[in-house]
Amino acid sequence: MVFIAILIGCIIGAILGINSPLIPYSISGYLAIGIMAALDSVFGGIKSVVQKNFDMRIFVSGFFINAITAVLLTYLGNKLNVDIALAAIVVFVGRIFIDLAIIRRYYVEKWTNWIEKKNKDKEIKKA
Amino acid sequence: MKIKYNKKNISISIVIGILCVLLTFGITLQIRTVQNNISISNPNYADNNLRDEVLKTKERYDNAFAQLEKVNKELEAYRSKATENDSSAAEKEEQLKKDNAVLGLNEVTGSGVTITLRDNQNASVSSMKSGDDISNYLVHEIDLLKIVNELKNAGAIAISINGQRIIPTTSINCAGNITRVNGEIVGTPFVIKAVGGSFETLERPGGYIDWLRDDYGIDISVKLQNNVTVEKYNGVINYKYAQEAK
Repeated sequence: MVFIAILIGCIIGAILGINSPLIPYSISGYLAIGIMAALDSVFGGIKSVVQKNFDMRIFVSGFFINAITAVLLTYLGNKLNVDIALAAIVVFVGRIFIDLAIIRRYYVEKWTNWIEKKNKDKEIKKA
Repeated sequence: MKIKYNKKNISISIVIGILCVLLTFGITLQIRTVQNNISISNPNYADNNLRDEVLKTKERYDNAFAQLEKVNKELEAYRSKATENDSSAAEKEEQLKKDNAVLGLNEVTGSGVTITLRDNQNASVSSMKSGDDISNYLVHEIDLLKIVNELKNAGAIAISINGQRIIPTTSINCAGNITRVNGEIVGTPFVIKAVGGSFETLERPGGYIDWLRDDYGIDISVKLQNNVTVEKYNGVINYKYAQEAK
């Protein structure tokens, strides 16, 4: 169910994105930061699913508030002539990697457990 | 894990679906915007792409050119085979060869002249008189044009500049610190080869070569030789805008 929703959502989003009018180049920097923040939220969401403390409200609010705050901070940085976009990118990408590591660990452990269990079953059967 | 089709699950799916729509929409829009502006934002990227394109086109051109050479050789072989035992055809073949020599499609050998032009090596800004220009002491495209004209006046059948054959569509252009002949880069020293005329009077007093040498110290050597080979034209003649008149 969730995966079907993700798939349909991605397809609709791509179609909309391909057919929508282009945005001015000066704004596309903000959109990029927003995308990075949203991606970070998505990875965070997957991590929380893996850690079994996923909360829909926290996920959705994080998705939007992170993105909007990142865009606003970048805007402020541009006004103050500080490259806050870079700092945001560093934080977001760093967090994406940390989340990814947790997700990876979880699945690798799951896989190893599965193999061990299989081996044990075999031994039991043999015996 | 068993999938439960309860209300909560559906609402979660819908929310996540909407988020996915937003995310992919943003990403595709961003990609399109960046691609559209890539030449403005990152000229390096565009340059690299252009460079790749040039290399690819050059390779294609070289391949096609090698193919053309091969086919031309085959054609030549067939032609000589076909005209072996036919005197009128042999005559035509001879005529064809002569015409091709004038058109620049054949290599031409014969008694001729080799002219080498070098910039005046001793000229420097400090030795200039007032009102003089250092660029007068270089070989320019106009000098090449004038010399080619003199050679033609002397009856040359075939002329080449640094391997670039002069044909009816040839242009000789100035392009900054180099010269372009047939659109190809040609630089100093310029070696002009000509075949087919009487070139004894090229260095006459008051002639163009004499004037360049005496007034501007351009290093010109004129060698009359019995055996000069003028290269053939190695480009493609483009008939894009021309049609045969009816």
